Amino acid sequence: MTKIGLEIHCQLTKLASKLFCSCKAEYRNLEPNSNICPVCAGLPGSLPLLNKKAVEKAAMISLALGCTIPEKIGFFRKNYFYPDLPKNFQITQYNAYGPTSIGSDGKIEIEGKTIRIRRIQLEEDPGRLVYEGTSEKTMITLVDYNRAGTPLVEIVTEPDFETPKQVRVFLNVLADLVENIGVSDPYLEGAMRVDGNISEGDGNRVEIKNVGSFRDIEKALHFEITRQQSLVERGITVLAETRHWDDARRITVSSRSKEEEQDYRYLPEADIPIVLIGQNSIEQIKIQMPESIVARKERYVKKYGLPAQVAEVLSSDKFYSDLFDKAHNEKNAKEVSNIITTDLMGFADTREKKLELKITPKHISDLADYIMASKLTRNSGKTALQEMVKTGKSLADVMSSLDLGHVSDAGSIEKIIDEVFKEEEKAVAEAKQNPDTINYLVGKVMRKTKGKADPTTTLDILRKKLSA
Amino acid sequence: MNLGISAVEFVSQAKDGTISVEEFVAKTLDRIKKVDEKIHAFITVDTQNALDKAKEIDKKIKSKDKVGSCFGMPVSIKDNICTAGIKTTCASKMLENFVAPYDATVTSRLKSEDAIIIGKVNLDEFAMGSTTEFSYFGPTRNPWNPEYVPGGSSGGSGASVAALECLASLGSDTGGSVRSPASFCSVVGLKPTYGLISRYGLVSYANSIEQVGPIAKTVEDVAFLLNIVSGHDPHDNTTANTGHVDYVKDLKSGISGKKIGIISQMIGDGIDKEVASATNAAISQLQNLGAECIPISLDAVEHSVAAYYTIAAAEASSNLARYDNLRYGFDFSTEGYEFKAFVSKARSNFGPEVTRRMLLGAFVLSAGYYGKYYLKAQKVRTMIKAQLDEAFKKVDYLVSPTMPILPFKVGEKVDDPLKLYLTDINTVTANLSGIPAISVPFSMSSSGLPIGIQLFANSFKEKELLQAAHALQETTTLPEITL
Amino acid sequence: MVDRKEIEHLGDLVKVDLSEPEKYIKQVEQILNYFDNLDKVEFHSDDTLRTQVTSDGLRDDVHKPYGDSLIEHLKKDQNNFIRAPKMV
Repeated sequence: MTKIGLEIHCQLTKLASKLFCSCKAEYRNLEPNSNICPVCAGLPGSLPLLNKKAVEKAAMISLALGCTIPEKIGFFRKNYFYPDLPKNFQITQYNAYGPTSIGSDGKIEIEGKTIRIRRIQLEEDPGRLVYEGTSEKTMITLVDYNRAGTPLVEIVTEPDFETPKQVRVFLNVLADLVENIGVSDPYLEGAMRVDGNISEGDGNRVEIKNVGSFRDIEKALHFEITRQQSLVERGITVLAETRHWDDARRITVSSRSKEEEQDYRYLPEADIPIVLIGQNSIEQIKIQMPESIVARKERYVKKYGLPAQVAEVLSSDKFYSDLFDKAHNEKNAKEVSNIITTDLMGFADTREKKLELKITPKHISDLADYIMASKLTRNSGKTALQEMVKTGKSLADVMSSLDLGHVSDAGSIEKIIDEVFKEEEKAVAEAKQNPDTINYLVGKVMRKTKGKADPTTTLDILRKKLSA
Repeated sequence: MNLGISAVEFVSQAKDGTISVEEFVAKTLDRIKKVDEKIHAFITVDTQNALDKAKEIDKKIKSKDKVGSCFGMPVSIKDNICTAGIKTTCASKMLENFVAPYDATVTSRLKSEDAIIIGKVNLDEFAMGSTTEFSYFGPTRNPWNPEYVPGGSSGGSGASVAALECLASLGSDTGGSVRSPASFCSVVGLKPTYGLISRYGLVSYANSIEQVGPIAKTVEDVAFLLNIVSGHDPHDNTTANTGHVDYVKDLKSGISGKKIGIISQMIGDGIDKEVASATNAAISQLQNLGAECIPISLDAVEHSVAAYYTIAAAEASSNLARYDNLRYGFDFSTEGYEFKAFVSKARSNFGPEVTRRMLLGAFVLSAGYYGKYYLKAQKVRTMIKAQLDEAFKKVDYLVSPTMPILPFKVGEKVDDPLKLYLTDINTVTANLSGIPAISVPFSMSSSGLPIGIQLFANSFKEKELLQAAHALQETTTLPEITL
Repeated sequence: MVDRKEIEHLGDLVKVDLSEPEKYIKQVEQILNYFDNLDKVEFHSDDTLRTQVTSDGLRDDVHKPYGDSLIEHLKKDQNNFIRAPKMV
C-alpha cells in the first residue's frame, strides 16, 4: 500500500509587502539586493513586524481547507545556518508543544477520497542563491536577498494519498482554490512548491524535495514507487532518506543532504507578539471570503440551470467564472456559459493568453443575446468571437466588417442548397441512401454562407429535397 | 564650569544662557581626554560632530529658535545600541568596524530633542557579563577606584556618568546590566517595564527580557530621559501602548503612607555585611519618609538565576547566529573556504563568555532537552510574576540591595563564570517578570566603594517607582567623585 | 554528561570553531548542573509572559521601499550580490 504525504509552500503573492517588513512581496525580475531593508537583510538591532493581511490570507486558506483556527497564534524560530538565511534562522510557526499555527486538522475531498490537512502555517521565504563558476573548486555562491522574507503558507497533509494521480488532482484543486480566494497566483514562477514523502507498505519514508512543477511531482512519485517496489521485491530495505528529482535523467537521486540530521533547536520568536484571533475576526474573514468553488458550482446549477459538467468547468476557473458572473443577465446565462466553456476557453487556456484577451463582459452578453434572437448562427458566433477577442471591436462592428448575419429566409438557403447539390452529386447520392451523412451537406451550406445559414431551416430544406 | 551638575540643571542653565553648550561640550570632551585613559569607558568619542552640534544649538538658543528639550545635553550610548554613522561594535571583534546605516529608535528620539551623542561606551561583549571585563576592547574600570570593576554589562554607561564624562547614558539591562553598574558606580539606573522602551536598534542578546535603561546622576534626570525615549514604537511590536505619561511631573510626591516589602531572599546570609547594614539604613530612611516596611517572601527567587541564564543563553545562541561575516563584519575573504568552515572560523572570534553562553544555549534548546530546561525556565518566569502580583496586592513597592556584594577587583571573578552568574541573584527577578526596577546610590562602604539600593514596582508603574526612588535619593549625601 | 564530543557537537550547532574544546567542558558541565535545579520547580499555569496583540496591533500591508540603498552599506560584489563560500 502506497502512502504519500505532501508539504506545499504557497507564496502569498497577492500581498503588497513581505511577511515581516515593508519591502515588496513581489521580488521577481528586480536588480539583485534592491528590495531589502535592515529587517529582511538581518542587520543587528532589526526587529520583525508581522503583516496583518498575511494573517488574514493565511486564515482564509485555513478556512477554505476546513481547518481549525486557534484562539492564539505564535511564531517560532527554526535555527540552522545557510547563506540564503539572513538571520541563520527562519521565522515559522512550527511548534512541537501545541497548536499555535494558523490552521490545523482540516480536510478536503479529492475524487471521493478524503485528504486530511495536518497543519497550515505562515513562514518566511529565504533569499535566492545563484551559482557562479563551473568547477567545484571555483564555484562561488552569490546571494540575493530580494526574496528573503516573502510570505509563505506551508500546507502539510497527512500521508493519505494513495496514487500520484490523486496528488496531481489535489494540487490542481489547491491551485484553483488559492487563486479563487485571492491569496495567491499559483502559476507565477516559484509561487507554489511541493515536497512529497512516500512509503510502501511498512517501509521507510522517503522525502522527495525540490520538485519543479506539478507534472514533475507526479513523475517523481511514479518513479519512486517503482524504485521502492523493486527494492522490496529484491528483499532490499528502502532507506529513510531525502532524494531530489533529477529532471534531465528522469530519476530521483539521493541528496547529499544539506540539512543532515539537523537539530533545529526551535524556540519562541519573542519579537513577534502572540496574536489573539477572536471569533469575531474569524467571522469577519468568513464574510469577506470569496465564494468557494463548490458553492459557485452549486449556484450555477441551481440558479441558472447550467448542466453539471458546464458548471464544473466554469466554476473551477476564477477568470472565466468572474467573466460569466459579469456577462450574463436573467435571460442569457445558459448561452453565455456555452460561449465561454465551448469557445472562449478553447482560445485562451493559459494565464498569458487570458491576459491578452481583449474581450469584455458586454461582448459576450451581446453575442449571447444575438444568438438567442437568431440574429447570428452559432457558427458565425464563433467567428465573431474570435475577431472580438483579437481586436476588442464591438459585436456590431465585427458583424458588419465580416458580413456575419443570420441567414434564415428559406429562399436564400434553398438557392444555396441547389448550388451545393450541383457540386456534390456523390454526397447527395450517399445522403439519399444514408440519412446520417446529411451533415456533410449541411457543412457545405455553412461554408458557402460563411456560417450564416440557420441550421434548422437548412436541415429542413435539405431533407425535403433529398426525399424528393 | 561644573561638569557635576545634573542633566536637568544643565538644561535650565543652557536654556537661560547661563552656560554655553559649546563650552560645556568642549569641557566634557577635555574631561574624557583626561580621565578615560584611566577608566576606559569609551569605545568611540564623536568629537567633531559633538562640537558642531553644540555650536548649532547655541545658535538656535541665541536666535530664540525652537530647541529640543535636551538643549545639547551630552549623552553616552552603550555600544550595542545603533547610531547611524558612528560605529556600533557591541564590544566584539565580530562587529569591530560595523557602522549601522540607521539609528535605534531611542537614539533618534534623543537626537530629535537635541541631545548630543558624545560617544559610544564600553560593555561586556554583546552585553553578556556583569563586570565589563568581557569586552574585546579591554575592561572599563570603576571611577571610584580603578582597580575595581564598574559592574556590567553597561559598565561604560555607569562609569562615564559617574566620572562626569557625560550627563547621562543609555544602557541596556537583560539580567541587571543597568542596575549593577549604577550600583557599583554610585549613579541611578532604571530597568523599565518590558515593552516600555523600544528595542528597535538595540542589538539583540535575550530579546524576551532585555530593555534599554537610562542612567544618570539623579532620579529626576532619569525621569527626564524616560519621558524622551519611552513610549510605543511602530518599529517594535513588543512595545506597549501606555499613552502619554509625564514621569517628571509629581516626582516629588513622596511615599508617605505607602507600603514597601523587603524581599527576604535578597537579604539573606550570603550578602556582604556592609551591604546588609546599608540596606537596613535605607529601610530606616524609607520608614522616616512615612512608608511602612514589611518582610515579603518570594521563594521563586531561588530559581531565578538558573531560569535567567537558561533563557538568556538559549536566546543568545539564536540571536547571535546572524553574525556569519557574509553581509557585514570584519574583513575576511571567503576565497578558498567552504561555507561551514568559513562561518565557524569567522565566529571563532567571539570571546569566551559569549561562546560559553552560545554552547549552553544550543544545549538547552537541543532536541530532548527543551522541556527539561527552557520550558521549565519559562515556568519559573510565570511563577515569579504570579508571586510578585500577590506581593503587590499587599505592598506598593519592593526593596532590596541591588548587588549582594561590594564591587570587587578587576580579574577577581573572571575565571569563575558560575560565581559571577550568582551575583545577579537580586536583579534577574525584574527581568524575568518584566517589572521595573531602579538602583539608587545610597552609601559608600568603608573602603569607599559604592552601595546601591534597589526598588521595584509592578508593571508600568514607573511614575510611582521614580517617586519612591527620588524620595530615597533625597535622604542621601554622597561624596563627589575625586577622579 | 558533558564530554569533549558533546562540546564539539554544540560548537558545530552554533558554528564556532573551538580551538580548545576541553576548556569549556568543566564550566559548561558545572553550569548545566546548576540549571538542573530547575527540575525541582513545580508550577502549573498556561499563562505566558508574552506580549499579546489583536490583529489591529499588527503592521498594515503596505509597500514602503527602504529609503536608502542598503546594499551599498554591506559587503557586496560588483554586481550587488553578497558572495558566500561554496556549498559542498
